[in-house]
Amino acid sequence: MADPAGLRALPARAIVAALADAADRWRDADFPPRVRATARIRERTGYTEPVVDAALDRLFGALTSAALTNAICGELGSVDALDGFVARPGRADGYAAPVGRVAIVASDTTIGVALVPAAFALCAKCDVAVRDRGDALCAAFAETLAEERRECGAALATHVAAAHDDAAWLAELRAADAVVAFGGDPALRALRAAAAPQARFIAYGHRTSAGYVAREALATQDGARAVARGAAVDALLYDGDGCLSLHTIFVERGGEIGVARFAQMLSHALDEAAVEFPAAFALPPPRAASYRAGAAFRAAVGDGALFASTGRPHVAVLDPPRDEPPPLLPRTVALYGVDGPAEMLAFVRAHALPLEAVAVAVDRADVERAAIESGAVKLAPFGSLQTPRLEDEHGGIGRIAPFVKWIVRS
Amino acid sequence: MTAAALDERILGAVAAWRAGEDLPDAAFDALALALFAYQIGANDPYRRFAAAAGFSPQRMPAHWGRIPAVPSSAFKDATLATFDPAQAELTFRTSGTTAERTGVHYMARAAIYDEVLCAGFERFMLPPGQPAAFFNLVPDPAQNPHSSLGYMMRRAGERFGAGPPRFYLRGDRVDVEALARDIAAATARGTPAMVAGTAFAFAALLEDLGGSTLPCAPGSRVMETGGFKGRTRAVGRADLYAGLARAFAVPECDVVAEYGMTELTSQYYDAAASRTAATRVKTGPPWLRCTVVDGDGRELPAGETGFLRHVDLANRSSVVAIVTEDRGYAVAGGFVLLGRDETAPLRGCSLDQEDLLVRRG
Repeated sequence: MADPAGLRALPARAIVAALADAADRWRDADFPPRVRATARIRERTGYTEPVVDAALDRLFGALTSAALTNAICGELGSVDALDGFVARPGRADGYAAPVGRVAIVASDTTIGVALVPAAFALCAKCDVAVRDRGDALCAAFAETLAEERRECGAALATHVAAAHDDAAWLAELRAADAVVAFGGDPALRALRAAAAPQARFIAYGHRTSAGYVAREALATQDGARAVARGAAVDALLYDGDGCLSLHTIFVERGGEIGVARFAQMLSHALDEAAVEFPAAFALPPPRAASYRAGAAFRAAVGDGALFASTGRPHVAVLDPPRDEPPPLLPRTVALYGVDGPAEMLAFVRAHALPLEAVAVAVDRADVERAAIESGAVKLAPFGSLQTPRLEDEHGGIGRIAPFVKWIVRS
Repeated sequence: MTAAALDERILGAVAAWRAGEDLPDAAFDALALALFAYQIGANDPYRRFAAAAGFSPQRMPAHWGRIPAVPSSAFKDATLATFDPAQAELTFRTSGTTAERTGVHYMARAAIYDEVLCAGFERFMLPPGQPAAFFNLVPDPAQNPHSSLGYMMRRAGERFGAGPPRFYLRGDRVDVEALARDIAAATARGTPAMVAGTAFAFAALLEDLGGSTLPCAPGSRVMETGGFKGRTRAVGRADLYAGLARAFAVPECDVVAEYGMTELTSQYYDAAASRTAATRVKTGPPWLRCTVVDGDGRELPAGETGFLRHVDLANRSSVVAIVTEDRGYAVAGGFVLLGRDETAPLRGCSLDQEDLLVRRG
């Protein structure tokens, strides 16, 4: 169990500073704990070194004092609210007190996903328990954090590679006042059942992301190429893993650059991005290979097109059958030619796709409306999906709000 | 070569095998290439697919192993028939893994299918001795006329069974009461049973039976066929076979797997010699051959896992070569079936196909 006593005595700003300082040390690719963690993450996930580096750069690059402060102020009004009562115009004074104990489960997530909620839960002065992956990234960060501020490190307990029925972990889960869980429906169901009835349950279920390329973005070769480059990074960075990975792109007809030409540009961009972010596998995994074979057949009989090369594990497929769900497969991107955003919405609804994000190329009200109606909780430019800002909500949920309970003084 | 001439050669090969003759490599190769030439002339989608792979009547594959194999999913995307499908004597639909689209296999002549399936069934599956009563836990062809499995078991039962074949599958559940009653009656008469079912139906049956048994007369046999496609649960094959052997009171080596698919006319079965081994080897009639290939269609050496690629000479009226999503590896005398690769879903908070299937019910 973590010890929150020291943490609660600290001003929130000191906690923010400690987290930011620890993250700053982890930003250095040669920082020995990071070097060791990188090797362990590679061993666990199979990701190539550039991919792990990119993930850690993005994770720790985002964990700054400004970002933490902005998120806290945005959600709570001020950082001081975490330390005691603050005046709130038109409302009673409020104190964002710690919710209590927080348990975080990110057992099947990619890289360091538990760290962000853990950081915010610490800012809220909660004692935090994380069921860490075998790579022990959270545990390693906790050590650095303890070097910055002993009280912060003491409040963050990690259960490295604990089994789902590990007794110590289950005790944490049962005792938690808030549970943050990343996982599929069966895992979330089991965790919810294991948690205390009144515990807050913050679930991040399995989701996927799509993109919409409006015709205005296809007005020039350079513009279209830039969109394709961004889409390629969004699609390939983590081999298609994670809810922010791009699997489906809707491309509007009627632009200067046609849909097929854009698909070709995307294919080139995928080739380039694959150099920067090499795949964890040399050949497409079997299911992706089967999908590719089906697409090759359709292309041969004049139904859509396939952009793939022998020996390259990524593929773009143009206009696969719409009565089938998109290929939610590693390094596989489907492009659908559409006349407007309503087609995207209809497709998402027809397949009951739970969308996390929609990547967009231009600001257009009808695209924005369709994205919102599709259930997405994030709209972002192509190329930025995999760089979520810490200041912003994730999965439609606030960063720190789940970890505080408001006490009001009338 | 005309369709009629090809059909005669296929039926000739079947008859010869039943008479104890094999199909020499050269004859297999010649017939496979003749079928390929005929099919690219008679079916436009296959012609275009073959052309994309660099083949045409002027540029034929060097041998049967090079015939371009369509993915099994192609049956969903195009009409792969060398004749007017409206004239099909048999039309079978795949169960598929997505609710909306199914593949269709049109067969020009029922007689070819009947002869082929009965020949394989007789050789590899039929229990020796007196005729067995057929108890089927597969779709009833009366209710599902487009199920190739239901059709196959009806035909086999009619040809080889003691009495008309019976069907006990009601939706996803088995009519246990009727099955128990009928098996008990057959056992009382000393009539062996031929119990055929999908793995999924058998798993449901065992669940319904709890610990009870349906003992069959000596000489009975259980035929299991891959029935988990499109399902979101799986069962260990070893546990299933042990459970079936116990439930029907047959030796485990008499629980025999059939491996077929709607897109093929012929079927594979567990090789007799492997039925007592830990790993079962699939074998088939000589007009059906399997090679194991990688994702780019290159043949893999024995022992290396890849996709199963079938060349079925009985597929005269559709496509002679098909590559499936099923995985396996070649061994002496056949191949070991591993099934579909479900081991590498997307990680993290990604949505994958299995999630979507579950969510959509």
